[in-house]
Amino acid sequence: MPSPRLHVLPWNQPLVSAVVTWLAGDWSGAAALDLADQLVVVPTRQAGRRLREALATHAAARNQAVFPPRVFMPEQLVASAAPTGTTVASRAEFLLAWAEVLRSADLATLRAVFPVDPPARSFAWASRLAREFVRLQATLAEGGLRMGDVVTRAGEAFPEADRWVQLGELEAACEAVLAARGLCDPQAAKIAFAAAPLPPPGIHRIVLAGSPDPLPLAVRVLGAYAEAGLPVVVLAAGDSADSFDTWGHPNPAFWATQPLAWPDFEQRVRLCADPSAQAELIVDCARGYGDTPGGCLGVGVADAEVLPSLENGLARAEVPAFNPEGRPLRSSALHTLLTALGELVGDEPSFAAVAALLRCPDVLTWLGGSPSQLLSSLDDLHTEHLPATLSAARTLAENAPVDPLRAAQRAALLSALTAVSRLRTTLRAGQFPSNVRRVLTEIFKNRRFNLAVPEDALAVEAAQGWGEVLAELEAAVKRFPGLASSEVWELALRAFGDSQRFDEKPAGAVELQGWLELLWDDVPHLIVAGFNDGCVPDAVVGDPFLPESLRGRLGLKTNAGRFARDAYLLHALAAARADGRGRLDLLVGKTSAAGDPLRPSRLLLQCADADLPERVRFLFSPVAAARPAPAWRRAWKLAPRTDAKIEKLSVTAFRDHLKCPFRFYLKHGLKMSAVDPHKAELDAMDFGNLCHGALEAMGQPDSPVRDCTDAGVLRGFLLGELERSARERYGDTPILPLVVQLESARQRLAKVAEIQAQQRAEGWVIERTEMKFEINFGGLPVRGKIDRIDRNELTGAVRVLDYKTSDQPVNPANAHTRSLKRSEDVAALPEYARFVTADGEESVWIDLQLPLYLEAVAEEFGHAVSCGYFNLPKASGETGIAVWGGYDGELQAAARRCAEGVVAAVQARMFWPPSEDVPAEWDDFAGLFFNGAEASVEWTPVEPQRDAPVMPDEEAVV
Amino acid sequence: MKSLTHQMILASAGSGKTYALTNRFVQLLAGGAPPERIVALTFTRKAAGEFFDEILNKLARAASDVAEAKRIAAEIGEPHLGPADFLKLLRGMTAAMHRLALGTLDGFFGRVVRAFPLELGLGGEFEILQEHGARRERQRVLRELFSRPNGELDDAQREFVEAFKRATFGAEEKRLAARLDHFIDLHQNLYLDAPEGAAWGQAARIWPEGSLWLEGGGDAKGAAQVLRRWAEGACTNEKQRARWDDFVAAFEAWSPGAMLPDPLLYVLEKAVEAWDELIEGAAELIIERKKQAVPAEPCAALVALTRTVFAGELKRRLEMTQGIHTVLRGYETVYHQLVRRAGKLTFADVQRLLMPELGAPRLVSGVEARDDGDADYDLAEARLAVDWRLDAKFDHWLLDEFQDTSRGQWSVLRNLIDEVVQDPEARRSLFYVGDVKQAIYAWRGGDPRLFREIFNHYNESAPGTLAEGRLDQSWRSGPVIVSAVNRVFGDAEALVARVPGPTAQRWTSEWRDHESARPQLAGQVAWLYGENDEARAALVLQLLDEIKPLERGLSVAVLVQSNESATWLADYLRREGGMAAVAASDLHVGTDNPLTTVVLALLQAAAHPGDRLAREQVRMSPLAAALEAAGWGRAEALTEGLLKQVHAEGFARTVDTWLRRLEAVLAADDGFSRERARQLAAAAQLFDETGSRDVAEFVQFAGRHVVRDAETAAVVQVMTIHKSKGLGFDVVLLPDLEGNSLSTRRREGLAIQRAADRSVEWVMDLPAKLFHEHDPVLAAHVAEAEAEAAYEKLCLFYVAMTRAKRALYLITKPVSGKSKSDNFPRLLAETLGTAGVGGDIGVGKWRGAGAYADGAADWFEASAIVSDGVAETSVESGIEVLVTAEPVVRHAARTPSGTKAGVVSGAVLFGESTAVAASFGTEVHAALAAVEWGGFSPEVLAAWQAAGMGEAVVAEARGCLESAAVEEVFACYPGAEVWRERAFEVVFDGAWITGIFDRVVVMRDLAGRAVEATIYDFKTDRLDAGGVEKTVGRYAGQLEIYRQAVARLTGLGVGQIRCALVLTALRLVVPVKAMGAD
Ligand code: SF4
Repeated sequence: MPSPRLHVLPWNQPLVSAVVTWLAGDWSGAAALDLADQLVVVPTRQAGRRLREALATHAAARNQAVFPPRVFMPEQLVASAAPTGTTVASRAEFLLAWAEVLRSADLATLRAVFPVDPPARSFAWASRLAREFVRLQATLAEGGLRMGDVVTRAGEAFPEADRWVQLGELEAACEAVLAARGLCDPQAAKIAFAAAPLPPPGIHRIVLAGSPDPLPLAVRVLGAYAEAGLPVVVLAAGDSADSFDTWGHPNPAFWATQPLAWPDFEQRVRLCADPSAQAELIVDCARGYGDTPGGCLGVGVADAEVLPSLENGLARAEVPAFNPEGRPLRSSALHTLLTALGELVGDEPSFAAVAALLRCPDVLTWLGGSPSQLLSSLDDLHTEHLPATLSAARTLAENAPVDPLRAAQRAALLSALTAVSRLRTTLRAGQFPSNVRRVLTEIFKNRRFNLAVPEDALAVEAAQGWGEVLAELEAAVKRFPGLASSEVWELALRAFGDSQRFDEKPAGAVELQGWLELLWDDVPHLIVAGFNDGCVPDAVVGDPFLPESLRGRLGLKTNAGRFARDAYLLHALAAARADGRGRLDLLVGKTSAAGDPLRPSRLLLQCADADLPERVRFLFSPVAAARPAPAWRRAWKLAPRTDAKIEKLSVTAFRDHLKCPFRFYLKHGLKMSAVDPHKAELDAMDFGNLCHGALEAMGQPDSPVRDCTDAGVLRGFLLGELERSARERYGDTPILPLVVQLESARQRLAKVAEIQAQQRAEGWVIERTEMKFEINFGGLPVRGKIDRIDRNELTGAVRVLDYKTSDQPVNPANAHTRSLKRSEDVAALPEYARFVTADGEESVWIDLQLPLYLEAVAEEFGHAVSCGYFNLPKASGETGIAVWGGYDGELQAAARRCAEGVVAAVQARMFWPPSEDVPAEWDDFAGLFFNGAEASVEWTPVEPQRDAPVMPDEEAVV
Repeated sequence: MKSLTHQMILASAGSGKTYALTNRFVQLLAGGAPPERIVALTFTRKAAGEFFDEILNKLARAASDVAEAKRIAAEIGEPHLGPADFLKLLRGMTAAMHRLALGTLDGFFGRVVRAFPLELGLGGEFEILQEHGARRERQRVLRELFSRPNGELDDAQREFVEAFKRATFGAEEKRLAARLDHFIDLHQNLYLDAPEGAAWGQAARIWPEGSLWLEGGGDAKGAAQVLRRWAEGACTNEKQRARWDDFVAAFEAWSPGAMLPDPLLYVLEKAVEAWDELIEGAAELIIERKKQAVPAEPCAALVALTRTVFAGELKRRLEMTQGIHTVLRGYETVYHQLVRRAGKLTFADVQRLLMPELGAPRLVSGVEARDDGDADYDLAEARLAVDWRLDAKFDHWLLDEFQDTSRGQWSVLRNLIDEVVQDPEARRSLFYVGDVKQAIYAWRGGDPRLFREIFNHYNESAPGTLAEGRLDQSWRSGPVIVSAVNRVFGDAEALVARVPGPTAQRWTSEWRDHESARPQLAGQVAWLYGENDEARAALVLQLLDEIKPLERGLSVAVLVQSNESATWLADYLRREGGMAAVAASDLHVGTDNPLTTVVLALLQAAAHPGDRLAREQVRMSPLAAALEAAGWGRAEALTEGLLKQVHAEGFARTVDTWLRRLEAVLAADDGFSRERARQLAAAAQLFDETGSRDVAEFVQFAGRHVVRDAETAAVVQVMTIHKSKGLGFDVVLLPDLEGNSLSTRRREGLAIQRAADRSVEWVMDLPAKLFHEHDPVLAAHVAEAEAEAAYEKLCLFYVAMTRAKRALYLITKPVSGKSKSDNFPRLLAETLGTAGVGGDIGVGKWRGAGAYADGAADWFEASAIVSDGVAETSVESGIEVLVTAEPVVRHAARTPSGTKAGVVSGAVLFGESTAVAASFGTEVHAALAAVEWGGFSPEVLAAWQAAGMGEAVVAEARGCLESAAVEEVFACYPGAEVWRERAFEVVFDGAWITGIFDRVVVMRDLAGRAVEATIYDFKTDRLDAGGVEKTVGRYAGQLEIYRQAVARLTGLGVGQIRCALVLTALRLVVPVKAMGAD
């Protein structure tokens, strides 16, 4: 091969200026700088950008402009030569071809590759492996190799020969699949091109500039051009030609031994505890450069783990920054939306998928109306009805009873769900990708994207990226019909997520670049973060297909080659900034973000033997963390509104107030209650309600079993009612936990049937069920609902019962009162809550439910009414009626006093101080309190406004 | 390389285990072993990192110091080595850094699995699940398991529900999801260890000889009648009669699963105590403090009832155990399908993939021929050659903390190590080190018994293969500490009295009295009294105040038993003592303070507007004002605004924005809240990597997210004993030594009986004490479990006491002579004595009550106070700004078309036509660029067709060329030069502009000077009638830039340059005036 001409540029100046100077040659400046007949090959996109900008700047200094050379990256040199009659397969087509091969191959004949059968020969498996094979082929193709070539090239005593023979067979099968569709393997096409390349028209000279590590296949192409007589010049910056081969590769033997002898080594290299410590150093330094640090400071990010901390740190410090590598569209809002849409395509979408879709801002906008009302009614539907799927959600939204106050919201939700169903129908009907486009144009039909608004511009870019993905897939799907829609989506979403979008570079921004970009950066001050082993140089250790030794045998990139390249780069970066021309700082991480130890780059240990021990001691010393942990401290006290009105009380509220007046206020005054988005089954209250429904029906005046004494019939009735109300509330196909819970309810009710039959036989007749009442206490209405009132037809006795579905049976006395603890501070308890029992024990009210019921029924049933619980605990043996024994007039009087006391306290707005004795696991408000409830809150009582609405404004957040 | 002995080293605490390991490593290097052929594995990544640093530093010291070189050379038995030799070794190490197999077991296994995915049945590359990921996957699996996409329950689901009912037998459970989550937490690993149902709740496995109880008691109803009848007449008093009546009644009401009511329990306990007599048919029971003779018939009846209850309970437990197994299997089946098959593995999964007893191929170090195309490739018979794929042959093995190695881990390594130990040429070696007295990870599977077993195993076949070494000299602790440790843990008699016999024996058999290698080290051991937690914390504070260790440059740690105590105590010391204390425990940074919780509440309120708790929380915080300022005061605005922000920017940016808005409210010196803000932002950054934009998920994640306080030297470190393993401190305080009896076994979870090889023999949900106590098999199991627990507890306290270098303060409740508890303070009392009870013990000038003291009360005076005790802040100095160099010029980059502002409608953007239009436009441009001069010609057409241009494109281009209106564009004049699709770069107005002209015609005079130029720009837009003007307006900016560029490139004045749009659809040429011109 006739060699190209190697030209060594001086490296005591920035590479890009040296290249520009060389390219401009003897340009006089009288006319435009015309380089249009040259092709310059640079290592990366960003390098090309730098070169073109530098040329423009160079010309501008003489008030001229440039006809630029064509600028290529090495991979662009390698075009594709498709065999006649075929076109080069797109990435999607290539993957699909591989997937087809993998799914249909007879693995029994490929045991060297697949010693065991894969877990499942699904599309997911095949496409995952396809991606791996495509990557493997690409690596091989860098060196002009195919899988099938490996065995012959690997040489003697190759231990995995059979495996590679079979891989070659698979590769051939893949090519056959492609060929049958008029396609060819893109890697094969590149290799074919490189064998007989055609130079681009109109080019009279090719310059390979500042590329220490060009793609071998590209070098092969350049070699062919040189051979054909096209001048090829290689530009490398350095101080001697011996340190390179003719293609500008750093000579490994030379660079592996070149000492890094910086006199101020320990000032230039810093050990940092972790990524955020590295980021902090850089951010601080960048701030020192004022508003537009970009012309002075450049940052190399060798360890990608540092990047997020760095970007966020710079943003926080309001230092403009720019990452020329762009970022994947995976982080775009559109990707989230598309992912959610993708969930609609397959089987009946889950409710969670629907909820995710409805939380996409674009969908909310499309639906119109109030987003907060829609989402809260969505949560309501979930909390109350636990729908499993979209269709269950629709049915329930349509049919399940709803509080009239929320009917309008529910209707809006129903129409949103219907709209989602329509999207789904569209997505599932018709041809891909026009169905997808239809759905998106529908969602975005009223949107206008203003390109001058950065957000919109980003959205447009993302949309265009998606358009490209669709176009590629459209063609692919035509050639590979028969894919399931979900499979197509999987491919599309991945391709979209992987594609990059590029930010606009803000003026004066600090550029954050990868290690391999830095050679082309000419900023005077360069900081490289993440200068750690494994990052610089990157090393391959262990590989399922191409271990290092095989790479060596095949002539692919090896660790030794990478080491030489990076040693050269490090020297070049330093040389360009030596002697006061600038400065290079290297940051070495001691641990990763997850706390794993890191090692400094081996490059830093390139030094004279005499210096090695000292350097090792410096680089492997421990790093102290920057600051000690400060003591816990309260940022602020919460200042709740203290003017919320409470104009009526429920019977159950008394218990809350007795427990803690402040929490009572939060719950009944501010109406604070949480939504559990992860709710996956009935909670205790739902479970109780479910049982109550059936029990209520049993006792209704028109109930056919009110007087039934046959346990079997009663059971049938109760279970039937349970079934009916469960269906009404949870639909026909409740999720699995509900099935179990229903079963539990069934067992409990079955046991109730037995007890009820007995009770009826003993003369107890159900007089009332679910009796609503309102009584007045000191001016406040108190409302409640009594589960059941029985009258004994033999004795005339009356009793009030409340159903309890807690796991353990409850004793009414224990549920309502407790005895005073010996250590207890009596003064802390309100007077009204205390009383002395008949046997002289000092006691405290903790609940007033049954006494208040008795109070409510007194008018109708007199005072000789007993009360108790009908327990339906989980151990069916313990099901039964627990009457409050020894309940008498005195107790009732004490209870009344207590109720009056509570009401008076509420009216006097005594909600303070909070109790400190509520255990966190039983405290709905535990999340508000730190180191004590009282200490966490600033309580400044205010009288509520007379005309303030009773309910706090539903929509206001502040 | 000369042959090396294989070694097992039993290294007591502080005896220089790491030193021995690094010496071994250096010895191997010196013997000529290439560094990459040495595998050195330990458990934590931190330890591995330190080990590596230590080897390098050791070599560096020896390489630069003759005396040091001499010392190390002597220690490794290569006395001839000098600095130059060590330098060479150092060079070798650094050069091979990237190839070293020096790390954790998990990491090593991961590396192997990564190299053999297809061989191990994975579908290709895989990812390791971290905690959050694992949790997410679990939720996904449960959702899948719970869903009923097709309405009906499928068979698997039906089975699952049935199994769940069995698993919760007798207490039918109303919460499935919560319970299941708990099951999985508790039992998943066990299930994976023993996936076969045969081990779970199978009577034949548990009682191979038959069970005493399972058969039941026959006619229980009849027996109850018998007893009732007998009791009526046989009782001496009412109380006794009532006992029997209640007993029988309780029996009749009882069903398996219900709690044993007291009346039932009372008699049953008596019955099993007198069991043998009952069986004989004549017993005497003490009922209500009176003896009562029970004759044959009621004896038999009582036996029958007891048997019925026992059988009922045991059967229920077996059923439940089987049910749990089936439930787990149901879960695991879906999990496997959804998670592992998709290439997401936990570290435990990775290890399991490699375990031969689970069917994995064995690892070997050499490539073996494989029988190709063998359809019956048997995984278990297969071999994986690690040397080829991992590019390394492993000749030497160094295993650290070997007592924590599990059977499973050993089984993976075993084959490779067998090869080494059996290497005929003896050029390879094994070295393992650890301390069976520090085996505090048995509950995680660590098995200290392996230590001895392996030793015996290798030496059995070839005696002398493995040498045993012992390190009992402490380089860490001074003589008073060592003496206390010896007294407490070396007292065989006291141990026998306090822990189960096998435990005491096991402990004592490996015990050797320790010796201090630093006899000069002054210090103190004291056992002091504090009544309760608060008092003990106060005492810790007083001692620290007295000793002032930080000010004297002494390191100090307070060791406790739980993370919660550590957090609490560290905070106590900071708050009450203003002390620099850190908890080396998990801090819930998202939920332990008002600042971060309110930001999470804000997110919750936005995504779940019905959450009035979150909303009010926001409202009662300073965030309310910030919201108002952002115009997000109403729920609608908040929901819309915040969701948009999250979807567009991710959580890190969003959270950061709001935290910054709150920053202004914080007190200037509130470093704590600022630190939490940083930590929440960092958590959000981590979460963003998952790509999820699900607010609820993030809120949950942030709520669970924990971090550790940064480790710094000059602070009081408060940590769990577990975490302190491997560390040493000048001063150690132990205020949390109380607790249950030493032999309290872990109660949570199922009873697991393991065979000698640690495989699972049986699993059972253990019944209550009454039942297991009286079943020989179960009783034996419990005894064994208690012995294990006691051993682990001893290890724990051994670790705690041996952390101290100079001073050790044990702080407990006073131990009274009457105490029956077998807890650790009790052992202290017995071994250290309580001579000092009530007596004054002095620490410096402080005096207080305690039981024991040894050493000098003023030991610390020898270390002078050197600082004010406040940890040095900010060790790092910043990077200086470079003032000398010229900044480089960076222009704002623009493209002419980039200047085009405009509005795109969603319908157009996502519509079909956009994609088509884009490629159509490009092709029409290409077609027109192909024409140099003149109109349409057959040659042009041929060129287009050769380029494969579509019909529509050709029609459009041809129409254009043939139209009279467009003719001028392609007309050729003398002196005319044409640029087609020509790129340019130009800088003006501080901007760098890059563009491509479609077509420019430059007229030149005879001297070649440009005299005039026309720029044509082709537009393929589809225009409505009357749209021309708008179009021109839209492109005016772009054309202006072209005009400026041409002016630069030709030297013409702007006025000499004409511009025109060529509208290809309309076939119109529309001149465009220069901007500012009329
Ligand atoms: S008691 Fe008998 S007849 Fe009366 S309702 Fe019940 S089942 Fe029917």
